[in-house]
Amino acid sequence: MHPILRDRRTLALYLLAWLAPGLMLAALLATTAKASWTGAVCFSLPAMVVYAFMSLSAWYVCRAFPLQGTNLAKTLSSLFFAALLSSALWFLACFAWASGLEWMEPGLAPRERYQDSLPLLASFGVGLFLIAAAVHYLIESLESGRRTERNALELRVLARDAELRALRAQIDPHFLFNSLNSISALTSTDSAAARTMTLMLADFLRLSMNYGALDVIRLEQEIGLVLRFLDIEKVRFGNRLTVKTEIAEGTLSAQVPPLLLQPLVENAVNHGIAGLPEGGLLLLRTEMHGASLRITIRNPVDPQRINPRGTGKGLHIVRQRLERMYGSGGSLDIQETGGDFVALLTLPIHS
Amino acid sequence: MRLGNSNMRAIIVDDEDLARGIVREFLAPYPDVEVVAECSNGFDAVKAIAELKPDLVFLDIQMPKLNGFEVLDLLDVKPRVIFVTAYDSYAIKAFEVNAIDYLLKPFSRDRFEKALLRGTAPGGDGPPDAISNLIRTTRSLNPPLERILVRDGSRVHVIPAPMVDYIEAQDDYVSIHSGGKKYLKLERLAELETALDAKRFVRIHRSHIINIERLVRLETYAKESRIVVLNDGTKLPVSRSGYEKLKELL
Repeated sequence: MHPILRDRRTLALYLLAWLAPGLMLAALLATTAKASWTGAVCFSLPAMVVYAFMSLSAWYVCRAFPLQGTNLAKTLSSLFFAALLSSALWFLACFAWASGLEWMEPGLAPRERYQDSLPLLASFGVGLFLIAAAVHYLIESLESGRRTERNALELRVLARDAELRALRAQIDPHFLFNSLNSISALTSTDSAAARTMTLMLADFLRLSMNYGALDVIRLEQEIGLVLRFLDIEKVRFGNRLTVKTEIAEGTLSAQVPPLLLQPLVENAVNHGIAGLPEGGLLLLRTEMHGASLRITIRNPVDPQRINPRGTGKGLHIVRQRLERMYGSGGSLDIQETGGDFVALLTLPIHS
Repeated sequence: MRLGNSNMRAIIVDDEDLARGIVREFLAPYPDVEVVAECSNGFDAVKAIAELKPDLVFLDIQMPKLNGFEVLDLLDVKPRVIFVTAYDSYAIKAFEVNAIDYLLKPFSRDRFEKALLRGTAPGGDGPPDAISNLIRTTRSLNPPLERILVRDGSRVHVIPAPMVDYIEAQDDYVSIHSGGKKYLKLERLAELETALDAKRFVRIHRSHIINIERLVRLETYAKESRIVVLNDGTKLPVSRSGYEKLKELL
């Protein structure tokens, strides 16, 4: 919406500001065209009100030709052309108004005198339009400043939010307590394995906390984290969980947001492998596809499963993070066919 | 250590080897508790409990195929149960509501023994309807019912709710009709009615619930005599209140 038409107060102020040129025009007409003061005022003020509204169109020129990033000559010539055009239209309106006045009150403002004032009216029209354009540019720059500030604030809030969620998501209580239970079971039967499991768990927790505090990490780091997670889950699930990786060379150094894969792999285990008595194979594949990085996570699922609470929450968070980081450039596609669940993550790569 | 005069037979149900191992380990000092079976998924658990009729079951909640509550739902004779879970806020809420003891993984030997003593004490399985109430609570915490489970001997049938055509009350049982087949389940029709999705399933009569998507037409014979015809040709009577409910949904 037009910034001046947005509320009545601004519009009133704007029209009030046009009183000055209106009175100025009346004074000029009264002296140069020798019109009566009453006639000049009766002619000028309504004409100015009309022109005030016509000049609101300067905003569209301002928007089409922002000061930054466009050719200055082109902007100026367009502005000047718009000024000429609106001033010509205004002149026609003035002429009609003068005729109207004469018809209503003959002799109050003889029409011929205004026709003689063409140069005066035209220069008024062009000048005022250009001033209006300058005012609009000013408003626009003030507003865009405010917009940028608000956007920055919003982004900061969202980033904080994502960070908190990621922190909460990275330590899945179910995973943590089950792992601790495995350790508790191992302490009496295989104390060396219990120690190894403790160290793996500590390693995983420490790394995910470290990575979670960063903006981006190398894909190699993320995959390292995910494999540590899977190693821990292998202790729990025994031979029910098999992991296969197909990592394309050159993908490992790609910069990715931290802990983006982690929730997807967790889903694959919790809602896929864990629901199958015989378990299954979890495949993790990375490849370059043009300027984007593709990561596939595939796992079997029980087609008869009921979707437990909380499914889809992890996916939702991943999608939200993608959108904030890459806009429409990143995506997460989910496919389920038969007993196969595939999550395909696509990230743009900026080298 | 002995728990009582007679020997007790126990079944351990958990999908993780190590988790079953720790229960076995903590049971070792009790020679009068004999572990007669270990199960790693819900189907096996239903079969083993129904066949072996143990005195006590250590039951995990989150398992492949059937969760712990579904296992209990399928058993006509509910065993004494000690629930074991790592983290499941819904399950824990259901236990709290019904004042049922449970073990949180990882648990200490002391805590385990406390649960064992409580679980094996005469009359220690709490109020007689505790398990049935627990199943009802978990259903109400997780509506609507997405699948109906029916046991047929040691076989478990999983019927997804949308596949159900209609359900008929038969004494203490309900007969679930789906795709031309009929499954009997020990359950009250009213209970099933509250658990099912009310947007899809309508109780049209004291003894019938239909899947509204199977409805072909409603025929009126007299003022208070109406029947519905389902897409497989089944004709079922409609009561006055059933007619009101149907009108509301259609």
